Amino acid sequence: MSAMNTPIEALQIRRREAIASHPRRAVRICCTGCRALGALEVHAAFEAELAAAGLTRDVALIKTGCQGVCAGAPVIGIDPEGILYLGARPEDVPEIVRTTLLGGNVVERLCFRGADGPLPKRSAIPFFAAQNQIVLDRCGRIDPTRIESALAAGAYAMLEQALTTMDPEAVIRAITASGLRGRGGAGFPTGRKWGFARAAAGDVKYLVCNADEGDPGAFMDRAVIEGDPHAVLEGMLIAAYAIGARHGYVYVRAEYPIAIEHLHIAITQAREWGLLGGNILGLGMDFDVAIKAGAGAFVCGEETALLASIEGKRGQPRPRPPFPAQSGLWGKPTNINNVETLANVPAILRMGAERYAGMGTPTSKGTKIFALAGKVAHTGLVEAPMGVTLRELVYGIGGGVRKGRAFKAAQMGGPSGGCVPARYLDLPIDYESVKEVGAIMGSGGLIILDENTCMVDIARYFMDFCAKESCGKCAPCRIGTTRMLEILQRICAGEGQPQDVDKLEALAYQVKKNSLCGLGQTAANPVLSTLRHFREEYMEHIALKQCRASVCSGLMESPCSHACPAGVDVPDYLTLAAEDRYAEALAVVQMRNPLASVCGRVCDHPCEHRCRRGDMDEPLGIRDIKRFVTDTVAAPWRPPEPWSERETQRRVAVIGAGPAGLSCAYFLRFFGHRVTIFESLPEPGGMLRVGIPAYRLPVERLKLDIDFILSTGVELKLNAPVENLDALFDAGYEAVFLGVGAHESAPLKGIDTAAPGVLDGVRFLRDVTFGKVSGPLGRTAVIGGGNVAIDAARSALRLGAEVTVVYRRTRAEMPAYPEEIEAAEHEGIALVFLAQPTGVVDDHGRVTALRCVRMEPGAADASGRRQPVARTDSAFQIPCDTVISAVGQKVAARDAWGLRLTPHGTYETDPAALATSRDRVFAGGDCVRGPSSVVQAIGDGQRAAGSIDKLFGGTGKLPDNLKLSRSRYAAQSEEPATRPRPPLAALAGRTASFDEVVATLGDGAARCEARRCLRCDLEKTCQ
Amino acid sequence: MSISECTDKPLDLSPVAAMVADRAPFSEGDVIDALQDMQTRYGYLPRAAMDEMARLSGVPVARLYGVATFYSQFHLQPHGRHAVRVCRGTACHVRGAAGILSAISRHLGIEDGDTTPDMQFSIESVACLGTCFLAPVMLVDDQYYGNLTSDKAVATLKRIQARDGAPNAAAQPAAQKGSAPCPP
Ligand code: FES
Repeated sequence: MSAMNTPIEALQIRRREAIASHPRRAVRICCTGCRALGALEVHAAFEAELAAAGLTRDVALIKTGCQGVCAGAPVIGIDPEGILYLGARPEDVPEIVRTTLLGGNVVERLCFRGADGPLPKRSAIPFFAAQNQIVLDRCGRIDPTRIESALAAGAYAMLEQALTTMDPEAVIRAITASGLRGRGGAGFPTGRKWGFARAAAGDVKYLVCNADEGDPGAFMDRAVIEGDPHAVLEGMLIAAYAIGARHGYVYVRAEYPIAIEHLHIAITQAREWGLLGGNILGLGMDFDVAIKAGAGAFVCGEETALLASIEGKRGQPRPRPPFPAQSGLWGKPTNINNVETLANVPAILRMGAERYAGMGTPTSKGTKIFALAGKVAHTGLVEAPMGVTLRELVYGIGGGVRKGRAFKAAQMGGPSGGCVPARYLDLPIDYESVKEVGAIMGSGGLIILDENTCMVDIARYFMDFCAKESCGKCAPCRIGTTRMLEILQRICAGEGQPQDVDKLEALAYQVKKNSLCGLGQTAANPVLSTLRHFREEYMEHIALKQCRASVCSGLMESPCSHACPAGVDVPDYLTLAAEDRYAEALAVVQMRNPLASVCGRVCDHPCEHRCRRGDMDEPLGIRDIKRFVTDTVAAPWRPPEPWSERETQRRVAVIGAGPAGLSCAYFLRFFGHRVTIFESLPEPGGMLRVGIPAYRLPVERLKLDIDFILSTGVELKLNAPVENLDALFDAGYEAVFLGVGAHESAPLKGIDTAAPGVLDGVRFLRDVTFGKVSGPLGRTAVIGGGNVAIDAARSALRLGAEVTVVYRRTRAEMPAYPEEIEAAEHEGIALVFLAQPTGVVDDHGRVTALRCVRMEPGAADASGRRQPVARTDSAFQIPCDTVISAVGQKVAARDAWGLRLTPHGTYETDPAALATSRDRVFAGGDCVRGPSSVVQAIGDGQRAAGSIDKLFGGTGKLPDNLKLSRSRYAAQSEEPATRPRPPLAALAGRTASFDEVVATLGDGAARCEARRCLRCDLEKTCQ
Repeated sequence: MSISECTDKPLDLSPVAAMVADRAPFSEGDVIDALQDMQTRYGYLPRAAMDEMARLSGVPVARLYGVATFYSQFHLQPHGRHAVRVCRGTACHVRGAAGILSAISRHLGIEDGDTTPDMQFSIESVACLGTCFLAPVMLVDDQYYGNLTSDKAVATLKRIQARDGAPNAAAQPAAQKGSAPCPP
């Protein structure tokens, strides 16, 4: 520095030098967050490789902070091309140097995977496209440990501007005008806060930066400090200038060692450069900063507790007023802002308060940094304007929910916040809107929860956290959180009492009202918000001992068997299959599910959706293994070993020989009761027989299961419709089970299935079964997106039709099984999405076309699904000769039975016992649930059999599962492995017959697949 | 854990003087910093050193204990040479942190909060490590490990055990999952 230059001139010279030496060719590696996946090793590999290639001088190798797409750690940026590589290992580095740095080509395997292939350029990646990075501008670009790097990118320019061109009041006015609100949670206007501190009497004032990011699941502050500590220091300097503080503290969590290190380096360098200390930039301002490392206490995020901690005391809060602005650290006026708030300050001065205030919503201005974590595909650090919707964050930026699962809620605001359910996916996020739906913005932690997350468990988790972190000073918080935790633990353990939910709610309001500080006042929020949006999950835990997400280990042995409505002991039979003990494996299945062959083929396998292995690579092919077992063990099958020899002589009538009725009959026999099934059709099986085409479920396989059930002594009457329940009771039956299914098609406006050429999907499938479809179908349009629609389409194809499926929503929303949709497409069926049929065009009684309008996704409904709405002037026609309407099924309820119906036209039952409104009459399956799955029906039949046994004075309890494979299978491994796909029949010829399409797994493949089971059930017994 | 402090070697208290002198004039505001130094030096807060600090600084020993017992970072008992901090934060919780913690505690044969008898490891669950994007996560000393599975977490500890040449490197795999190769 020449003696002639003023400090400001010197700074400007150094800035120019830094810019001039700024390299064009650069490799930037995130070496903060990405360290957890080996970023430092990758950096070392680059160092060696660049040296070996003689590139050390030409390529700048920069260790940066967070680059945002953290799910792809370690993240490497290559400039000037703007290429981004994700997940590289040290072994990949030579190839990157060779191919990209020397060869100018892209290593595709390391690129971000877009919907249509790899996206090498950062700017093309949707994760970034929807963001607006103002505060994070330098984060991930600069080397945070070199002040030159920050200066070259503009750091401290706004400090210079503020000190030279603005007086403190002007700075406060600008911040007020920008509309900046505290980013730490409460959202208090920052300009006003500064105004109070400035106005407070006294010449010693303190400025504190709160970097105690205590919300578990939030990492914005960590990322900002590690990636651009100078932004925080510059913000502090400007704030200190505005309020007149000479001493500053940064209170950082001890769990953030890299943040502490980077901040320490930044402070030291800023001092060396005259940016901290006395007479800053020669302009007479004095300000210095000290770091205080927290010592692990969540309550220290609360202002007054934080101050107590800086004073070296126990971090206990005290009542306010006096507010810290009047009496804070050591009784002096103190201004506290969080990291992100302060990092916003230079950005506001840079872009001007007005432009800044132009972003966001009426009450919340500017941008917000979100820490996207949990069950979202692309976790990471995101900065978006206030008012961004959850849908944009989760689906646009975040790439959707991991593993294609369903979104359940977003947890916002940590232990003080709440869960925002799917129905609010389109809510513009700002301080007020989030509060209205029962959560808080908090510091911006956004944890995405999917269908495999239990909301009661989440409430229990947060209460456990708050009870542990309660500082104990006030009784409502100390005792209230403990009591609430006890209740939640009880519910999760399956010991919940019916009155627990009300008790919990009452306690929650008390704790909220009477606690001393923010921790206690907000501790009940997670409970209240889950009660508000997910009350039915609490009820299921208490009344049904059911955790729909298969999380609460106290309620279950393993997630898969808990998810199975029939409760099949999945891990046991998988292990038996792995040990070639197939007959025993089949017996284990048949202990809970008599339709094993059927479920091996057409089950919607809820077990696989909850399989823990699915979080590692792929869920177990549980259904395929079941099929393999049933196809391997020679029939006829005998009932499993603990079959009761008891005969009670009590008679039960089962109406309907579908899966619910068959299952109920089988389990009634288990209890020793006498059963007669009345079936109105000429053959048993219900929908399995007349709804599911033979190419998916061959008749012989169905017959095998039915014969097995009948072999236990069930009497079956075919062509025997029941008109009157009284007649059954008169005939000596003591209880009745209804499993009549939902065999009627739901109507669709504008489509008259009585007209010639227009068919009803359910009836069509029944006619196909009995060979009653007459005449050629020609070009056929099938309306609907469910399994019936796809079954009808593929059946029509096999009868020689040329088929188009018309669905009013998008492909992703089709309720049909994905593998069925894929197969349909593969067989040559055309799919038309976002089209709503409005009528049929006919020419003298002959169908010529289906009239449709185009749809587009509109506002979300309660489940978060966007309701399709018609686009104006979008009418079009699909030429066709036949129309099949398959938009849903309903129950053909019989008034003569005198049973109460639900508003949906199904039979009303109580969920625990499945008893209808009439004494001794039970019901289950589709006629209770509406169109549902086979295994649900089987589960219902089983449950109703238990209820009927209880009615007869029995226990209603089935014998325990067999547990034949007590030993842990030794060969299991967490090594990533893909699951085998069962072979399919060749396409040629496949569509000309109703022969089965999917084949059985080979025994090697089945055995190997079964070995991937993690045996979560033993995990639990071992604990 | 009940590890007697009366080992054969008496505790060297001389570093305490510097902890106080470096902060002269020592005030209450320095207590947390000073205790952090002490813990770095001794691995925990030995009773004798606390007494010594109280004597030299004039801060009542009850004050020091009040602070030390309030914050979860401080330990009054000796801790293992390696601190295994397993995150139990929200993001880690929903992505299976409980399984990681139980695999680690099974492998080491100790519970959360305890230290192995050979003083090699302590397990400590923490609220969040700020690495939520790679959940589940653990921090062993100052090295982060992300995207963990039970196998990966245990393998990491085994590597450290092997590196340290600990005698029990592969010992007592208490009810640990088998990882034998697939039989033909
Ligand atoms: S929740 Fe585990 S690191 Fe944040």
